[in-house]
Amino acid sequence: MRGVEKNLKEFEQAGVRPVAISVDSPELSRNLANKAGYTFPILSDPGAVVIRHYDLLHKAAGPDGSDISRPAEFLVDDKGVVRWVNFTEDIRIRARADQMLAAAKAIQ
Amino acid sequence: MNGDRKKNRAPLAAFLLALAAIGASASFFFVSFRGEIVLQWLALLLALAGLIWGVVGVRRAYGQSQIYGGKVTAPIFAVIALLVLGLMGFGWKSARQLPASTGAPQVGQKAPDFTLSDSNGQQVSLAQLLQPAAGGAPKAVLLIFYRGYW
Repeated sequence: MRGVEKNLKEFEQAGVRPVAISVDSPELSRNLANKAGYTFPILSDPGAVVIRHYDLLHKAAGPDGSDISRPAEFLVDDKGVVRWVNFTEDIRIRARADQMLAAAKAIQ
Repeated sequence: MNGDRKKNRAPLAAFLLALAAIGASASFFFVSFRGEIVLQWLALLLALAGLIWGVVGVRRAYGQSQIYGGKVTAPIFAVIALLVLGLMGFGWKSARQLPASTGAPQVGQKAPDFTLSDSNGQQVSLAQLLQPAAGGAPKAVLLIFYRGYW
């Protein structure tokens, strides 16, 4: 997400709006945004409803055995159709900004 | 009488290697580049080298005690090196234990619409995000699902 913030101008130029989603409460997300300087929207799904609907639920991976989201990235075009996805196999390896920008620019 | 005793530097080497391993494995917090997994392999190798030096230190301290000291420090640093290696192995395994997500939207499929609260408590939907903004119509929205900071 740091990489996204750093390249926000380029995402904008490519016509892409980055949006982050996690189980964190709006308050926690606000703290994160303030601390890390994120200016793109961060959405809260505390009940993991959308996360479950997207089949991204990582059971018992959060604190005290709570359910959280696995890392995943989707590029959704203006028709609402998925154009690019990334599911990491290792939580230490996340999609890089340059990969996401390349995917964004590939959309006509 | 300790004139020809040598310093047992193996335990220190074990400790420094274990520290370096921790540093290398924590690198994913700070860096993001193609092939960054190499740093994780490096961390494993460093931890393994640390354990080897830890064992060497113990063998020197107890097997060649006329020459080498370190009867107290050698086992301690060897255990630290072993713990670090164990932790790396465990971390490696758990980092890759992820749900299959076979039901997740695939390329070409419609992304299910949703409405969620943003960090200011405003309700935001995917349909809204895909609508033209003041600065022009967005071509796409990049949804970044992340584990959260809890």
